[in-house]
Amino acid sequence: MTAWVLGLVLASYAPQQAGSTLLDPAREARVQALGKQLRCPMCQGLSIADSNSSAARAQMDKVRELVASGRTDEEIRGYFTSRYGEWALLEPPATGMNLLVWLLPLLLLLGGAVAIARTIRRPASAPPAPPAKPAEPETDKDRPPPDDPWLEAVRAELRR
Amino acid sequence: MTRRGLWIGLSLAAVTAVLLFVLAKGFGRDPHEVPFQLRGKPAPDFTLKRLDTGAPVKLSELKGKPLVLNFWASWCGPCKAEHPVVAMAARRFGQEFQFYGVVFEDTEENARAFAGLPDPAFPQLMDERSRMAVDYGVTGVPETYFIDAQGIIREKVAAPLDPRTMMEKLAALKQPAGPVSEVVR
Repeated sequence: MTAWVLGLVLASYAPQQAGSTLLDPAREARVQALGKQLRCPMCQGLSIADSNSSAARAQMDKVRELVASGRTDEEIRGYFTSRYGEWALLEPPATGMNLLVWLLPLLLLLGGAVAIARTIRRPASAPPAPPAKPAEPETDKDRPPPDDPWLEAVRAELRR
Repeated sequence: MTRRGLWIGLSLAAVTAVLLFVLAKGFGRDPHEVPFQLRGKPAPDFTLKRLDTGAPVKLSELKGKPLVLNFWASWCGPCKAEHPVVAMAARRFGQEFQFYGVVFEDTEENARAFAGLPDPAFPQLMDERSRMAVDYGVTGVPETYFIDAQGIIREKVAAPLDPRTMMEKLAALKQPAGPVSEVVR
């Protein structure tokens, strides 16, 4: 029974194939570095170098083939973006609209630093505050009429 | 309001507007949807082996008649549900369109058992190590490409096809194409 269930589960997965033959160490390091930059289409946020999926293995094969054929890193990234757009790159390039995503946090940090610096400096550099004016005595005009029994009662209560 | 207050207010409004724009752009799309950039571009050439006869099939030799390429695998559940739809279309519209299945990440033995050889409704091609699938920007199976008579990719459906969608896509494939984009290599 266990073997049957196991067989059923395994049958629902793609037969795994080994990756293509590794290149010499220097070029293989390039393959792995490029693979780390490219997003696996079948996984959630994983690079094709880190994923075990069959699609990622196929894409790593392609990277290896392109490196072996003498393509530059830029050309290899271009091969994938021409098919999947910038989505294929785990780190979007800092150009066009993407520049906002890179610059905005820096601008906000800079703005915050300026605001904090100004707040800290202000008490030392600001001129001493003028002495507070003594409160103006209440004029008779502001006072309620003396014949208001309720106000008189409250005042009497407060004076206790 | 003082001049300084006005500047602070305007700066905050500008930053908020930019953030809202970026967020709206991001939230406006399905995060699971993988963009497809080959629409309107010439289909990358391929030479694949037929599963039944072993004869090589080249894309360049298929030009002149619209082509439907259906990527599938025997280990893919939705492919099993979709297969009769493609087979029905192949039987019914085989005079007007060419239908080919492309076996993705699978063994020949499994594919033969799945496709009902030696009498398949449409020929199946073996994509060794998924080289052709990567060239076509396949992200999983089932996926179906609709290529016109001039070899231009008109559409890709990255989901199991139902009869209605199949009919709509075939009808669209008969319409004249728009301007062709540059070749992708």
